[in-house]
This record gives sequence, C-alpha cells and structure tokens, in this order.
Amino acid sequence: MTSEASLSSALEGAVVIEAGDERGEFAGMLLAMLGAEVIKLEGRHGSNSRSMGPLTRSEHGPEQSLCFSRYNLGKKSVSLEFEHPAAGLVHHRLGNRADIIIDSGEADDVDRRLKFYREMQKSNPRLIVCAITPFGLDGPYRDFKMTDLTQLAMGGVMASCGYDPRPDGTYDTPPIAPAMWQANHIACEHAVLAIFAALFFRELTGNGDLIDLSIHEAVSNCTEVAIPSYIYNQAIVQRQTGRHAAEHPTRPWLRRTKDGRYVKAFMFWSRHEARVIGEMLSEVGIEHDLDSNTYRELCERSPSAGHSHLNGLVDKLAASMTAEDLFHRAQAKGLLWASVREPEKNITDPHFQARGTFQSIEDLAAGRPLYYPVSLATGGSMPLTAFERGAPRLGEHTREVLDQLGITEAELKLLASQGAI
Amino acid sequence: MESGKRRPLEGIRVIDLTKIVAGPNATRMLATMGAEVIRVEWHDQRALDMLRMIRPSVPGGAPDSLNRSGLFNNLNAGKYGITLNMSLPQGRELFKRLIAKASVICENYSPGQMESWGLGYPVLSQINPELIYLQITGMGKSGTYKAYRSVGPTAQALSGLTLMSGLPEPMPPAGWGYSYLDHSTGYYGAIFVLAALMKRRRTGQGCYIDLSQTETGLMVSGTAILEAQISGRPTERYGNRMPFAQWAPHGAFRCHGADQWIAIAIQNDEQWAQLVDEMGSPEWARASRFAHASGRKAHEDELERLVAEFTQDQDRYELMQRLQRRRIPAGLVQNAADRCERDPQLKHRRYFVPMPQSEIGTWPIEDFPARFQNTPIDVGGPPGRAAPLIGEDNNYVYREVLGLRPEEIAALKEDWVI
Repeated sequence: MTSEASLSSALEGAVVIEAGDERGEFAGMLLAMLGAEVIKLEGRHGSNSRSMGPLTRSEHGPEQSLCFSRYNLGKKSVSLEFEHPAAGLVHHRLGNRADIIIDSGEADDVDRRLKFYREMQKSNPRLIVCAITPFGLDGPYRDFKMTDLTQLAMGGVMASCGYDPRPDGTYDTPPIAPAMWQANHIACEHAVLAIFAALFFRELTGNGDLIDLSIHEAVSNCTEVAIPSYIYNQAIVQRQTGRHAAEHPTRPWLRRTKDGRYVKAFMFWSRHEARVIGEMLSEVGIEHDLDSNTYRELCERSPSAGHSHLNGLVDKLAASMTAEDLFHRAQAKGLLWASVREPEKNITDPHFQARGTFQSIEDLAAGRPLYYPVSLATGGSMPLTAFERGAPRLGEHTREVLDQLGITEAELKLLASQGAI
Repeated sequence: MESGKRRPLEGIRVIDLTKIVAGPNATRMLATMGAEVIRVEWHDQRALDMLRMIRPSVPGGAPDSLNRSGLFNNLNAGKYGITLNMSLPQGRELFKRLIAKASVICENYSPGQMESWGLGYPVLSQINPELIYLQITGMGKSGTYKAYRSVGPTAQALSGLTLMSGLPEPMPPAGWGYSYLDHSTGYYGAIFVLAALMKRRRTGQGCYIDLSQTETGLMVSGTAILEAQISGRPTERYGNRMPFAQWAPHGAFRCHGADQWIAIAIQNDEQWAQLVDEMGSPEWARASRFAHASGRKAHEDELERLVAEFTQDQDRYELMQRLQRRRIPAGLVQNAADRCERDPQLKHRRYFVPMPQSEIGTWPIEDFPARFQNTPIDVGGPPGRAAPLIGEDNNYVYREVLGLRPEEIAALKEDWVI
C-alpha cells in the first residue's frame, strides 16, 4: 500500500482482541483491513473455523480451511485457553493493552466470557466490548441455536429470495438463502459500525462500552422494501426469479444468452430503452418493429402489451450473442445491464485489475498465493485498502504477543504446564 | 434523544446528495450516530430521489405529495432536508458555501454528474482541504468500466452474488430478491467515512473515496473466489444446501399453511438423533444410510423429501419451538408481517421505533441492530424525527448554518434557487 490516501492505517495503533466463534471473524478482518492490530485468541486446538469448508485437502499440513484463510486475513493468532484458570494472569494485561474486544457465539457462551471482560474494563475503562450473538443478550429467542441459514430465514432475507410462483400464485420452490455466510457478513458490517460509534464517543468521554449486537436484527435491517411495504401498505412482497420481490408480478430481468449464460437486463421499460434495444437488434440483423408506428400505437393502446412485445424481443436479442458481448454492447448504449458472472471471473477482468480489487496473498491452506478480494474503493486510482499478511497459523504470534504483555519466561512455562497455552 | 446530549459524531456535518438506497443508507448510519446530515434535493422530477414518489406510501394526502413514501421515510430518518437548484450557477455557489462548512459529502450520482457541474473532488477539496468525499457508483470511478451505469441488481450480477444464489443448474439463478448491494454498499460507505474521519483527526487531511458496489459484492463472495482457484472449477449454486460440510438435512421445508416454511440445519449426528425422535422415530429415519453425516449427505435428495413429508403438516411456530428445545438449529422463514406482528424477539428488543414525520405523523422505523451501554445512538438523529419533508429545513440551514438574512433567503426562493 503506497497511496497516501490509504485507509489501511485509519485504525493504526488500535488493538483488537477477537474471541468466540466464526460469527465475528469478518468484523475482525474488516478492522484489520483498516489498520488495527487484531489478535485472535484461539484455544490450543484452534478456532472451529479452522475446520470449516471449503477445505483444500492439500498436503500442506493441518491448515486446510479456505473459510479460515478468508475471514482471518491480517490477524495475529494467540493460542490461549482464555477461560482456563491459569489464563487469569494474562487477562489483566491483555485488557490493559486492548482498545476493542470482539466476541461472538451463542449468548450463554458470550455471557460467560463477559464477566472477564467486565473485570478488564475495571482496570481499562476505555475498553470497548462488542458481543455478537444470534438474537442479542436478552429476549425470548436469546438461547435459540442458529446457523447462517436459519438466521437468513428468521431475518426475512429468504422470504424475498427464490423463484416465481406458479400461474395460480402458489409456490412449488422453496425460499432461497443466498450463499456464503451472508448473515455473518451483515452482522459484522454492523458490528464495525457500532465499534466506530463507540470509538468516537470514547474520544468525547474517555469511556468504553458494551455493545450487544443481534444478528437477527442486523439481518432484519437488510431487507429493503419488505418491512416498509408491510408497515405502510400491509403488503407482502412475493419472491420472483432473479429479480426483486414485489407486491405484484413484474417482468423478468434474467435473459439466457447464446453461450448458455445469463445477462441481467434491468429495465425501466421506457421508450428510450425500446429505441436503444431496437438499434441493437438492427445491428445484429434481427428484424423488429420497435421504430414503427404499429409498435408506438400498441404501447399507447396497451402499455402492458407493448412491454410484452419488447420483452420477447429482448429475449431474441440475448439469444443472439454471448453474455459478455451483450453486457458491453448494452452498457455502451447506456443500458444498466450486466452479465451474470461467477465471482472468480472478475480476477482477470482488466477493470478490476486496474483498480487493485484483488491482492495476491500467500494462502495458509493452499500453500501458495491466491487472489483475495481486498479493496472496494480507490482514492482515485489506488486501492484504499489492502492487507499486509494472510491468515495466521495457529499460535503463530503467541510468544510475540505474550512477550509484549510482559509475560515472563517463568510465567510462560507455568501457562504451558497447566495447559493454558 | 434528549436535546443537548452528546453524540458520537457531534460536530460532523454531512452534505448528502444521495438517492435511492445505497447512499441514503450510508448517511442514515452517520445520522444515527449524531452527524448533522443535510439532504440536498430539488423539486424538479429529474433531480428528485425517485423513492419519494413510489410505493409503499402512506395513503391519503395530496396526490402529488413528495413526503409520503414509506421506504424514503425509513432510509432518511434522522436527516435534515433542504432544496437547492444545482443546475443554476447561483445554486452551485451556495453549494460551495455549504461544502466549506462541512466535514463530509456523500453522493451517488451517475458517473460524471458532479464534474459536469464543476463540483468534482479537485474543486471541492480546494474549498475545504479537510473534506471527505464519498462517491458511490456501480463499478467505481476508475478502471475500464468507469462510465458504465449500474443499479444494485447490475452490480449483483457482475460480482457473482446473483449466480451463487439459487437451485443448481438447470434452474436459473434466483439471485437476491432485493438490492442487497444497496444495503451493504451503504454500510461500507459509512464505515469508510468513519475510518477517514478517524484518520483525519491524526493527519488533518480529507480524502476521496471512490466506492464500488460491484467490489462490495466481491468482498462478500470471498470464500467462493478462493475455492474456485483451488478446485479449478467455476462456482456453482447449491440451493439451500451446505456444500462444504456434511450438514444434512439443510434447507427450507414446507409447513402447514400457504407458503409457510421452516429452515432446518442438521450439523451432526446428535442433532439428527434429536430430529428423528421429534419425528416419532419413523422406520425410514432409523435406516442405517441416514445414521451418520456422510450417509445423510450422500442421500440428501431422499432425505429432504422424507423430512418434508414430516414438516408439511406441522405448524411452523410450534415446530420451531419444539426443535429449538432439542437444540436443533431451526428458524421459520419470516416475511415482513411475521417480523412486524409475530416476532417476540424484535418486540422485546424494541426493534421498531416510533418516529414522527412532519406530514404523515408517527410511524415505526427500523432501529440500529445493537444496544449500547454508554454510547448514545438514535435513529432519529439530531432532528429527532424520521425523514425530512422536501425543503423542510431550509430556514435552519440557510439561516443558521450559512448565516443568510431572511431577505436573502426570500430572494433565493424568488429566483428558484432554493
């Protein structure tokens, strides 16, 4: 990172302790991305996320989890049984060094560790503790056992995602949970926002905080029009294939292309779009009547019939070319269309290469460098964020961190002999 | 929020030129933390946030009212609102005066709009070197696609989020049933502004943030991107199944009633044994091929069909409670009515906050999803209300922030500048 505008040093000097399970790991990663020193506390056998798939099944040793590699970028690993009675001699010093603690997991587990954090806050009142749990630390669902799937169900995401109903309005396909740990992502993005709020308030008052973040509420907060539709109009949005859930059926966005892929043809169904699509049809030699009086009169007589006619022609247009060709041609004419890509296809796309979206980082599990998405913004040309290192090996920084805390050689031996490290 | 109480972002003024969801979501977060967010709008249909004009909306009122949209009210809670005609030179001069008194500007115009007004970052940073300029676009303002136009669904398609969601081929992608990347880009927009503010306290320097919705989508697709590099195979869809662990059954199962579903995720043999018991230990469930995780995974189609036969007659709320008592991860698929009317957890945590708006009265607004012991955050922001009416705060901003005299304000109104 060489850009002066870089935000990778925004949290320089801040020390974050991360405990708990995989639910809070993305928050720690985002804070590391912004320059915080993130120390991940793992038991002697490592976090549960070290065994979460996808796995490399490689010959490179015990580190096999790409999930761990991804969500622990830029962190340090300390192998410490935090709740072990002997670990008490570390708590106080750790608490004094830290600015932020992130803990995540089931409410009972987090609550149990909170008593340690409260003790730490007595000697370091500036300490900010962020507890990420499925439903928060109180309430009737507090103790429900949850996964990413069930959080997306309860939080309302699944009710909006899926496929068109049958002509009679009933569904023969289930609601869909979009893949890849999105409930954790949403919760962790809110956790980072909450931590920033507490950091700014700490600057005013000198006091830290306890943040009680509910994954359920975070997911609920992320369903766009669904809640307002009900609150203001008592309407329930219905899920539809590849497009927004809506009160009433809308026309399709997904179009099958010549190469068997899809383009998402987002449209306002305007006259301008019809004219542009007519131009594109002419360019590839498909006959159409979009510039005729007949079509204009059809639209005036029945906008719906006009849209149906245009809809059929968009299908023909898509079937005549590849997804990538259609994407670029449509964009060149100002249409808001895009090819439906696999995410990894973007690694070699010149646009993302120019912006530094991906960074080649030595991957723990793969035993070789892999391209990670690390930047979502530039300062004009250079990426604003990057990582200095990949995910840590289990206990890679135990000695370094304990040394910094002033743990003596004799204390280290004691911790080891009692099974705390 | 009591007036006079300290707030995390007190003293931070944000000029908000954003529209639709992504930008307003970012500035909503800042307002919730106590920033003074001033929405800049204009009466002209082309310059208005289209959310002001679409459903859901509060029935009644004047037919052409711009102040009755429910989604707008939710996304713009806690902000001030002014009118300013940016297409006039006088309007742009007034805008520059606002920038001189601001900490942050956020906008999500189509690429090139601000430059066409002569108000790009190089100009505005001359006026205010400490300014933090957040620009949200679909693809980003640099790179090959810098002129490409995009909305949330466009970015979702390109980033891979659409493709990854849904049942396997030959079914098409289900994608996301809303603009997920409007939400998440808003979160990252706020996070980057906060990071830049934090950095500015050390350096005294502002910065320009060119935030891309598509890259935001890539940020939340990371594991798939790594897996594809290892396997050499393109990313696929798996429906509601868990492709990377032997968790089965793992999906949504139909319950009694129209379009009623429950999500169940069995992660180990103990949970499976509990589910078998809950189902009354039917003979099929005791078959050896289902006894262990690998067998259940290998026979997932059959397993899902049989579990669905059990759930289809069950009341989803009762089943969820029974499964949870057995420590089985289960949650019903809640729609908005379920969350608003029948979710005791959201009610207990006071997730919906009654918030006044000057034309439509008091309506529930979705709160920030965390409770703080000390830090005062408030979805009503400094004005202590939901979204502003169009131009509602002209007097406050032009008089108190810019120090204009009443006769100057009257003249600007007369000239169609504000």
